[in-house]
Amino acid sequence: MTDKTNTPSGETTDFGFETVDKSQKEGLVRGVFDSVASRYDLMNDLMSAGIHRLWKRFTVELSAVRPGQTVLDIAGGTGDLAAKFSRLVGDDGKVILADINDSMLKVGRDRLLDSGAVGNLHMVQCDAQMLPFPDASVDCITIAFGLRNVTDKDMALRSMERILKPGGRLLVLEFSKPTNPMLEKIYDTYSFRILPMMGQLIANDSESYRYLAESIRKHPDQDTLLDMMEDAGLVNCEYHNMTGGIVAVHRGIKA
Amino acid sequence: MSTQHDPAVITAVLMAAEGAVNRALELDPASARDLADLSGTVLAIECVAPALEIFAVVESEGRLYLASYCEQPCSVRVRGGLSDFLALTTAEDPAVTLINSDLEIIGNSAPLIALQTLVTNMQPDWEAPLVEVLGDVAGHQLANLLKQIFRWGQSSRKSLRRQLSEFILEEGRLSPPAAELEHFYQEIDALVLKADRLESRLKRLAQRLDAQTS
Repeated sequence: MTDKTNTPSGETTDFGFETVDKSQKEGLVRGVFDSVASRYDLMNDLMSAGIHRLWKRFTVELSAVRPGQTVLDIAGGTGDLAAKFSRLVGDDGKVILADINDSMLKVGRDRLLDSGAVGNLHMVQCDAQMLPFPDASVDCITIAFGLRNVTDKDMALRSMERILKPGGRLLVLEFSKPTNPMLEKIYDTYSFRILPMMGQLIANDSESYRYLAESIRKHPDQDTLLDMMEDAGLVNCEYHNMTGGIVAVHRGIKA
Repeated sequence: MSTQHDPAVITAVLMAAEGAVNRALELDPASARDLADLSGTVLAIECVAPALEIFAVVESEGRLYLASYCEQPCSVRVRGGLSDFLALTTAEDPAVTLINSDLEIIGNSAPLIALQTLVTNMQPDWEAPLVEVLGDVAGHQLANLLKQIFRWGQSSRKSLRRQLSEFILEEGRLSPPAAELEHFYQEIDALVLKADRLESRLKRLAQRLDAQTS
């Protein structure tokens, strides 16, 4: 699952609990998602007992997307959020499903085509840090369980802010820090013991799921991410904890 | 910041309720068509204690979408306490309860009454899913059995309520009959009026005495 062929840049970043050269992270993350893409949805359902659907549904509600709008779903993976937005924006709107990983994008494209979600949907393989869209061109951006895999999160947030229209909103759905210490202990046991075991049994790949658990712990907590969004230029930033803070959805508005 | 209620929990409850309502609508196409006529209606239900807000959005396909967050302008908003909403759900005549209760209705009440009428008149064909799963004969037999149990439950409930009322009023004399109570209230009203008249007469007499002494 590893790819360490890029030229070292000298700067380091985290890859789970490991510290790697910044230039290597993209390839390493790609390796993880290439490995899990085919069973990504099944694993999501099993790992979260289906609760990820509730988190995503509330995120869609917070987006308040209306017919005719343009929505960009970054790290859209298998396209479950894009399918919902496709229905909300209608024929006059546009939904762009973007992912850096071609394996995930292919799975998402096939799934959306099979479900009949066509016409207003577009797929783009791109890097969240350098979004290939004009300034102020998108009404709403969502990134669900994707930001923690981005090498330079600040750069990605600035890139998202750039392409949002004034008044447009960014929604970041991501694993976060549980608010209850007892829940945190249970969650740690689950993440580092049960999750890799499930990964081994179902996807025959415990390492990728160990990385997923580690990357969650290395991800900024609720307040830090809120500050990062404000630093990127977004205003009226807020977050909602879900399932005891295991997941949080952050929302910021383009001034 | 964090919200008072966990959005995931509220969303789970709403998803379950929405699934049940939409399944019932699938089994009653006439009601689904009537609901489609109300497409675009947004009903906000605001419970003040405990603080909770939910939205029911009528979609064009004659389906209902329940949400805990909605930025669409509301057609009608119903505000009140939990006990008021519970009384409404258990009321025999929800329309009368809605008007006479402490619930506050803000906005156009027409879609609210239309929705309430639609819910009251809904007649889902519960036999269809049973027949689908069990086949024509077994499905029909089971549906009949369930209908009989349901009817027996309804009549038992009515009968129990009547018998309980009779026991409390007639057998146990634990509570006076409504007519007796009404007569008692009328007598109290008459007594109150007489007392008021006596009070004013005493005041006049006192004023006359004051005038004579001064």
